[in-house]
Amino acid sequence: MKSSSVLWRTLGIASLVCLLAMLTGFGWAIKDTWFPKEGLALPKASEPEKAAGGDWSAKSELYVAALGDSLTKGTGDATGEGYVARTIASLAERLDKPVYLVNNMAVNGMRADQLAVNLDEKGFVNAVGRADIVLLTIGGNDLFQVAQGGGSLAEGGDLSPEALRELLPDVKPRLKEVFDKIRAVNPVARIVYVGLYNAFYDVPQMREVASETVAEWNGYAYRLALADGNATVVPTYDLFEFNLTDYLSSDHFHPNALGYERIAARVADALR
Amino acid sequence: MTNLLALIQNETLKVWKKKRFAVVVLILLILIPVFVYAQMKVAQNSADKFRTDWRAELQSRITDNTNALSSDRIPEEWKQWRKALVQQLQYYLDHDINPESPNGVTFTRRFMDNAVSLFIPLMVLAIASDLVSSERATGTIKMLLTRPVRRWRILFSKLATLTLYVSLILVTTIALCYLISGLVFGYGGWGEPVFVGFRVQGADVDTSNVHAVTQGVYLLMQAGLIWFAAMVVAVIGLMVSVLVRSTAASFVTMMATIISGTILANMASSWKSAKYLFNVNLELSAYLRGTPPPVEGMSLGFSLAVLAIWGVASVIVSFAVFTKQDILN
Repeated sequence: MKSSSVLWRTLGIASLVCLLAMLTGFGWAIKDTWFPKEGLALPKASEPEKAAGGDWSAKSELYVAALGDSLTKGTGDATGEGYVARTIASLAERLDKPVYLVNNMAVNGMRADQLAVNLDEKGFVNAVGRADIVLLTIGGNDLFQVAQGGGSLAEGGDLSPEALRELLPDVKPRLKEVFDKIRAVNPVARIVYVGLYNAFYDVPQMREVASETVAEWNGYAYRLALADGNATVVPTYDLFEFNLTDYLSSDHFHPNALGYERIAARVADALR
Repeated sequence: MTNLLALIQNETLKVWKKKRFAVVVLILLILIPVFVYAQMKVAQNSADKFRTDWRAELQSRITDNTNALSSDRIPEEWKQWRKALVQQLQYYLDHDINPESPNGVTFTRRFMDNAVSLFIPLMVLAIASDLVSSERATGTIKMLLTRPVRRWRILFSKLATLTLYVSLILVTTIALCYLISGLVFGYGGWGEPVFVGFRVQGADVDTSNVHAVTQGVYLLMQAGLIWFAAMVVAVIGLMVSVLVRSTAASFVTMMATIISGTILANMASSWKSAKYLFNVNLELSAYLRGTPPPVEGMSLGFSLAVLAIWGVASVIVSFAVFTKQDILN
């Protein structure tokens, strides 16, 4: 009987304390939700790391940031790697040092104007600022999504050549803005712009006009890169001309694993 | 009054000696290490990928969720959920605060968030479900009711015991969770800031009331809200235990209700009136965290009111039935 009275005393007091704690928490939660007061001052977080610049051979490791549209995301690649992971793997092998992906911030369907807005966000600034190499694909959606008018892409039917031609002057400044913003965030990184290809090369009525547009666009990107001084445009249009279907995924727009592998080889060549 | 206290003492010791609480502690001691191990694996994986750069990891989460938004296969309400999540994560990133600082307190916070809908109710019901029905099963209810004590006092003492044990279970869960996960993730993190006060309206998050609290305060508030939800489950369990004769039947009834609540919460957004069911409202800590509620238009006040009404109604039914009930068998 004695032991059970001791047990009751401990149990009773302990659980009563717990009950009071829970009631306090409950009351606090209600007060904080309905009558919020000023929160505590935020502690200063440590600054994110910045890329140092300088010669790559002097560095023990390299950092890569990837941004842009579905091509950088790797859409269409059944292995999920895309060209970014492949480029990094082969670059690490060739340079014989670890190459890390800071972040792949590509979003399906991203347009150049959206990317320019995103580049003001902290997450993008951190990642781009950290990188020694910035991989970038953009512009494909600006040109072909709008020109496509929401119709079926695989058919190429609703893609009007006139619309494409008219679009080009409007879209060009967006690419310049993207280049400028990346450069403003990171003055030392090598920017690698992966050029557009003509996914409609095998559609007779689209071949000429789309190829012309792509060529002009890539030429414009090349001029921007030239003006920048530390940027490269990697051409891909020649990879997707003959036997096009072998290198495109079933959506007939994005590359498949083989297509990405060929892009990655090009990018790695350009970097080394 | 001393009479009532003696009754509570009697009930508390009965539950203890039936080893109900020991079972709860045992379950916790087995399951928490499992979750800690799983979380450790996740943390190792992301450390490999992101090299402890939490900003990169956070941005990656934002990008992943943004990408999911463009998929046509994802239902509209999940997209809203993701949109709200993206805005929240962006808020953390913009203010340079790591929402997942690796420590025992963060783990405990996350564990409790996930435990509120199933795990905590399960443990509470381990005690609530046989409080009355076990007396029937063993026949001791006759001895209990033939003593010169008013019936409502007996039920009240059971209710008080239940309240004490629910509080004890919650504190024990948090304490064990913190102590075990601390071994792996470290015991710090009480002062880390957490943002509260996100108001979710459809796909938009109103951040005008957002302010930071320390993780310790957050854990206390969260525990208080979970305690309330657990208490409502407990009194409804007590009611079922009064109404149904066997412990197994009352436990299964309650668990089925709780589980259907979590299923409904995932798909109820098109069935608006589901928000009046108690089992859809159990995730009170989600309001603190600022995740969108299962049905649009639900708020902390609404959920508290619904739960309170269910709780009070159950108590009334329990007392009405228990004081009038004929004891046969």
